[in-house]
Amino acid sequence: MSDLEVRDLTRVFLSGGAPRRAVDGVSFTASSGLLTGFVGGNGAGKTTTMRMIMGVLAITSGEVRFDGAPVTRHDRREFGYMPEERGLYPKQPVLEQLVYLARLRGIAPSVARREVLEHLDRLGLADRAKEHVEKLSLGNQQRVQIVAAIMGQPKALVLDEPFSGLDPAAVDAMADLLREHTRRGVPVLFSSHQLDLVERLCERLVILGGGRVLANGTPDELRAQGVTRHRLVLSGDAGFVRGVPGVLAVDVDGPSALVEVHDDTAATRLLAAALERGAVREFSPVRPTLAQIYREVTA
Amino acid sequence: MSNAWMVVATREIVVRALNKGFLIGLAVTVAMIGGLIGFTSFMEGRTQSFEVAVVAGDESAVTALESAAADAASDDRQIELSMLPVDDASAAEAALDDETADAWLSSGAASGTDSWTLSGWREPDPDLTQLIGTTVRDQVLADRAADAGTSMNALTAGSEVETERLDGNPVDPQVVLVAGFVLAFLFFTGAVGSGAMIAGSVIEEKQSRLVEIIATAVPLRQLLAGKIIGSSVIALGQNLLLAGVGLIGVSFTDLSAILPAMTATMLWFVVFFTVGFVAMAALYAVAGSLASRTEDLQYTTSPLMMLLMGVYVVTFSADGTFERVLSYIPPASIVSMPVRVLNGDALWWEPLVSLLILVVATLGAVLLSERAYRGALMQTGGRVSWKTAMAAERGTTLGA
Repeated sequence: MSDLEVRDLTRVFLSGGAPRRAVDGVSFTASSGLLTGFVGGNGAGKTTTMRMIMGVLAITSGEVRFDGAPVTRHDRREFGYMPEERGLYPKQPVLEQLVYLARLRGIAPSVARREVLEHLDRLGLADRAKEHVEKLSLGNQQRVQIVAAIMGQPKALVLDEPFSGLDPAAVDAMADLLREHTRRGVPVLFSSHQLDLVERLCERLVILGGGRVLANGTPDELRAQGVTRHRLVLSGDAGFVRGVPGVLAVDVDGPSALVEVHDDTAATRLLAAALERGAVREFSPVRPTLAQIYREVTA
Repeated sequence: MSNAWMVVATREIVVRALNKGFLIGLAVTVAMIGGLIGFTSFMEGRTQSFEVAVVAGDESAVTALESAAADAASDDRQIELSMLPVDDASAAEAALDDETADAWLSSGAASGTDSWTLSGWREPDPDLTQLIGTTVRDQVLADRAADAGTSMNALTAGSEVETERLDGNPVDPQVVLVAGFVLAFLFFTGAVGSGAMIAGSVIEEKQSRLVEIIATAVPLRQLLAGKIIGSSVIALGQNLLLAGVGLIGVSFTDLSAILPAMTATMLWFVVFFTVGFVAMAALYAVAGSLASRTEDLQYTTSPLMMLLMGVYVVTFSADGTFERVLSYIPPASIVSMPVRVLNGDALWWEPLVSLLILVVATLGAVLLSERAYRGALMQTGGRVSWKTAMAAERGTTLGA
């Protein structure tokens, strides 16, 4: 199992007077064969962490491990990486520069060429191979960039905001592509602002805030950590729930109410009180969305 | 992995060789050199012809003009004289005004004064003035010598001063001056042009973060080495081409006699320039890495620009002890030493010692640049100072 593991990673920036801990003791594992989503607001430390994983930024303390051992430059050479800001050589043709980047990774020119053409074809860019990158739309430039990352069967993928700027169809194509790599047993770590997307795609989730890990686990594990809410729908008015001890009414609208119950006795009490007033049409737990969990942990 | 620098260097060369701006600049320079040489040899080979008006009855002027024409023909002066007889002074003036005559010669006797006059509508041509001046003087002297019962030859015998040059160097100091100017110009344009391209290619990769992708694949040291080597190959090729065009051009002119001396100088220049260029390329790469956007380049490259300007201005005008000192100080030695070789002023070992100093300085510059380049390349957000770049911690993969 070639997991990508981050242990107690810390980065302190000294520039501009007071030292700033951009990343502060971050630990998590991007397991092999899983898509791990890296979520957090602006300045949470996602990009800094990814740059340290890739070795383009010096680590203040902590370590990055791959396959059970400290990561080496030979490992990293076989990682696929997509940096935060996009851009390739604007005035060079797509095919030519992808082959160049592949050759820098030690792939033979003929192999590189074949593989690049294959990827371009899959992403619908086969007919643009000879065009200059600057002539492509932003979405297409993004696709070229992802090809740069996934060439040569990488051992791990570290992608900073790979989905930003893609239309829904392209998002699906990109997701399929990433899944192909997880199926090979490769760990894929990607950052994103789009929580719905992360929720839909990821097997694991790391929420970062202020340079620290705020939550880490599968989406179900994270949901379980949050307070479960219940929806109650009655035949009559639901306003009474506000007076039931141990119950917090989040929202009441005529016959229906969204409530938080803090223990089982409170739930029993609530249900008994409801039945006294008439028929109970619905009493069910509401699974929190990731967006809710995110708001809770980052609050 | 060990040949990653070759992949980088190849790309630099190919991209540059296909760059339109670069090719146009090169073509313009070649055309300028060709044009300059063509113009020079045209001016040298050109025969000037003059129509000189003489008023009827001015026999002395006719005689003077005939002997001047004969002198000009025998002396290979490339001047042709022809006489335009006119009726009187006002006709002569009219001929000057309507440009049928270039000048009007009148003797003292004809104008009733002591002195001869060569008139033109504007100032008469200096070559013509010199030729006629000499002839008239000889003629007047010969007349007076005859009056005094002696002869011109008797009077002037043994009065001539011959020049002799003991160093055996056939190169005219004027040519050395021009060569100094040309080398300084080649150095300046070559270094600034290629330097700007290197800085541009570095900032292109830094600004787009492409360098982060490259850095995970290849050590930055190899990236830098590839860039420097690639640009140096281009610079070398460019200078060989220009030197070749220049030398071939010179072989068609009167300067062909000094072609061997010039070839040696050019070869020294190409060697010096190539070594020195490696240092300039490294420093320009740092200038590129210190910027964070293309717009910053003019600030980060300005110290280098000043240095090169300084070398340009100082070297082409330097002479004597100052030039001797400069010929040992990089980067001025790149221009000054080859000029001294052309001058015949440098002993055989002097270029070698100077080259050694240049090689050491280049190594120092490259090592320093390599450190600063790696330190600055991953720092984004604003310009980076040399100090910060040198002090920066480097990413773990970036060193080896």
